[in-house]
Amino acid sequence: MAISLRPDRMALADMAPVAVPAIPFGFIVGVAIGESALPTWAGIASSQIVFAGASQLALITLAGPASFWAIVTAVAVINSRHLMYSAAMAPTFREQPRWMRWVGPYVLIDQVFALSVMQTERPPDSFRRYYLTTGVGFWLLWNTVVPLGLVVGTLIPDSWRLDYAAALMFCGLTLFAVDRVPAAAAAVVGGFVSLLAVGLRDRLGIVVGAVAGVIVGAFVDRWWSARHPIIDPEALPDAEGSTA
Amino acid sequence: MNNTTALLLLLACGAVTYAARSSLILLLADRTLPLTVQQALKNVGPAVLAALTVSLAVGPEGIGSVELAEAAALLAAAVATVWKRNLMLTFAAGMTTLWIVGALT
Repeated sequence: MAISLRPDRMALADMAPVAVPAIPFGFIVGVAIGESALPTWAGIASSQIVFAGASQLALITLAGPASFWAIVTAVAVINSRHLMYSAAMAPTFREQPRWMRWVGPYVLIDQVFALSVMQTERPPDSFRRYYLTTGVGFWLLWNTVVPLGLVVGTLIPDSWRLDYAAALMFCGLTLFAVDRVPAAAAAVVGGFVSLLAVGLRDRLGIVVGAVAGVIVGAFVDRWWSARHPIIDPEALPDAEGSTA
Repeated sequence: MNNTTALLLLLACGAVTYAARSSLILLLADRTLPLTVQQALKNVGPAVLAALTVSLAVGPEGIGSVELAEAAALLAAAVATVWKRNLMLTFAAGMTTLWIVGALT
């Protein structure tokens, strides 16, 4: 088993367009650290310990108004989408050495998943190099941009209203996540219920809204799938053995 | 928030995040998740992000506390996202609108 420290060139090239949108986002996380009730060192350490943009922004902005467990729940719910990535990557990781199965998931962020899920046909060594190049690359980028945002953020006056940047970014992220009708239903219900529950203590309205959105989304999913069945006769004989 | 609480909070958040990323890679042998679970997971992202957006945009005082400039900024950010699908433009459109409408009102 060879452990190569040479980065995968194709991975570096693939990273560029995906990395660009992460830069302003990391910057905003950095600015939010400066305004948070969380100690500054903890805000910065969240980039190494949690390493997940949207949930870090939630952690940083909710520290103070929300309780300990409400924050942990919010982070867990936001990052539960990673279960999907973990499930999708499991067959590929089965061919990887044990250390990789433990270390690899640490960098399984949205961007790393999106890029490396298209490289699962590579031989195990080659896949590992691609995966780790993107993972380490994004980790280094994130841990540069976030502290930079923190430094620059302290120089920016309050009148620039950067406190509202997190709300705007989450608005954009929500619309990015809506790619199907059931997802739209989940978002609309999630947003509306959390609005009704906004007065609940410890920002529990977020969790209440999210749960309501997921439940309604599941019902709409069932209704939608029944009306729009995916008919692919060629795929049927292989359906049992498919891992896609 | 004191240092000990912050450290515990970070460790707990790090643990749940790592668990979500690693659990199925480490545990799933030759099985896959039931289809209903897979479908439900797909909707978690949109639902929780929308709930977070509302919570951050509105604040604990309710919808009455939203300023006109903030509402306009959210609308501009949404339009920019749908139109260009680029988070940098989402940010630019939202913040510019917030400043302009904020200065006018």
